[in-house]
Amino acid sequence: MHHSQLLHTPADSANNQPEPDAPPKQVAQAMERLNQASRAIADIRLGADRIFEAMFLTSHPRNSTDMSLQLLLKKDASMRQHLQDLSSIGKKLEESGVLTESLRLRSNTWDLHMPLVCPDGAVVAYAWKRQLAGQAGASAVDRTRLALKAFTDQKKRFFPHIDDGVKMEPRLKKHRASHSLLEHGGGEMFDYKTLPDIQSRLEKLVTNVKVSTYGRLSWLKRADSLTGSGSDDDPSEASKLVFQSSSKMRSGLDDEVSDKVAVIELYVPSVFRAVVSLNPAGSVDPDSVAFFSPDEGGSYLHARGFSAHHVYKHITEHASTALQYFLGFGTGSALYSLLLWVCSFESLFSKPCSKCGRLLAMDKKSALILPPLHRTYQDLPLDANLDVCEAYHCGCSPDDS
Amino acid sequence: MPVKWVLYWQPNQGTTVSTQILNEATQCVESINGVKEGRWKATLNYYKPMLRDQSNHPDLPRDFLGISLADQPSKYYFVIRSQRIVVEADASIQLIMEKLQSYKSKVSLYFDGFQYQLGDFRVRVGRVVPVHSESVRGIVMEVEYLPISSMEKSRKVMEEFVEIWHEALSKRSLSGKFVNIELNFGEFGLADTYTPQHTGVQYAIVMAHMIATVQPARG
Repeated sequence: MHHSQLLHTPADSANNQPEPDAPPKQVAQAMERLNQASRAIADIRLGADRIFEAMFLTSHPRNSTDMSLQLLLKKDASMRQHLQDLSSIGKKLEESGVLTESLRLRSNTWDLHMPLVCPDGAVVAYAWKRQLAGQAGASAVDRTRLALKAFTDQKKRFFPHIDDGVKMEPRLKKHRASHSLLEHGGGEMFDYKTLPDIQSRLEKLVTNVKVSTYGRLSWLKRADSLTGSGSDDDPSEASKLVFQSSSKMRSGLDDEVSDKVAVIELYVPSVFRAVVSLNPAGSVDPDSVAFFSPDEGGSYLHARGFSAHHVYKHITEHASTALQYFLGFGTGSALYSLLLWVCSFESLFSKPCSKCGRLLAMDKKSALILPPLHRTYQDLPLDANLDVCEAYHCGCSPDDS
Repeated sequence: MPVKWVLYWQPNQGTTVSTQILNEATQCVESINGVKEGRWKATLNYYKPMLRDQSNHPDLPRDFLGISLADQPSKYYFVIRSQRIVVEADASIQLIMEKLQSYKSKVSLYFDGFQYQLGDFRVRVGRVVPVHSESVRGIVMEVEYLPISSMEKSRKVMEEFVEIWHEALSKRSLSGKFVNIELNFGEFGLADTYTPQHTGVQYAIVMAHMIATVQPARG
């Protein structure tokens, strides 16, 4: 996608380099062009005034009509020139990616699919640009070194499968697990350790929640495709594990091998969207979890991101405490417990607090009116109805966290 | 789009509405930790058709209103309450109507007030003032819950917020209260997910109630 955009850029006579410019030069060029554009716009404004002047003169009979006609034609020609200049500047800006929608700004000419989000959640056009800005005093060598470090850190975190030689083992393990599932024919055995088991179990227990799995890159694409107002009821375009028949199972595994499951999405329509990340990809070890509004979309929607809304931000904080609690058992059932607990938030906007009996309350710490954001995570009923999970306001919670 | 409820001030029997109520309401919002974000303005027009021969068209609706919303600056919304119609148009439609001289605005009203942020809630309170006049025709309040856009799912949250609001206001012993009108949006062809058309319909109903029940203040 990014390559084709470069190919379509026509050769600019002023810029004969075969390589595209480094982004700082691109920024400087874009600034220069914007200045030119504003000068052209000022010329157009003046030109319009001149044309009115000329028309005024032609309308007065005491001036020679021939001369004023000449004047009018001259003004018209210069106006056309200005408009043409403006349009060519506009084209150049479009080509260099300044005048397009923000999505196209992501086409990173260094051929790396950099996410727009830094690990600490800040959104920037180029991840390393922020790095450079922070190190303005450092020398060029230091800057380069820091940028390279930022690259490799992000690459390790987001693209661990690149030059990662240990692909064979997890693949075989999964294969074996799925075969054992087939042999048992979906019987009583419930193994917390396989993702397909967990997913199907959840779907049986909590029918309103949609559980979907994604590889890291496909989640990034999906997060971006979720626009602000979307009521997204069909996540089936993503890589979803399907267990209906053995042949489908095999093709599902083939997808998995190339794009290991790293993200689980729990979606309750009109209530929330939760994102859980698995680390390492393909395992059943949850790494972090975050909650978002069902209407939110964008690249900041990931397990370490924060929602724009207070209610989901607070739940995310509470959820990380719960996650640590589940991981603390060390039994490997953390993922199942976590996902089940997340599903209890289905009643976020309907279940009143078990202590004060109200749905909304003014939270003293943050001075905000919020629904009960706490759900008890100790003694979670793994097989039974989630309604027994009690809801509390932050201030009413017996945990007093 | 986040869910929004439109409430209006219902003064007690025998009292009138005034700018004082608006001041009390804004102070009350600030008392529940509302943060002022700025001014709020909107306009509403009642249209009547310009016909050569008035008597030949008795079936033309007489409650045809158009409203501009502060959060949709490039759009204009038309509502015909009696026929349950709501339509979204581009803001330039007003200019077109003026040029065509097909409909003339017979009553124009301004909504003029302030906008507040209370965590995940957004509240707008303003007075309703006829154009070319200083008299306050009524007070209107919008409450938005930003995280969700389903009317059904947000119902309890909105109800409780209005309760909290009533509680806070009651401390100021004002002669009246804010009223929310139960609406059947389905009649207007609108679904559970909130849209600006829902807002248009709410305003049409609120204005109808306000004109029927609230006495205009003098001066």
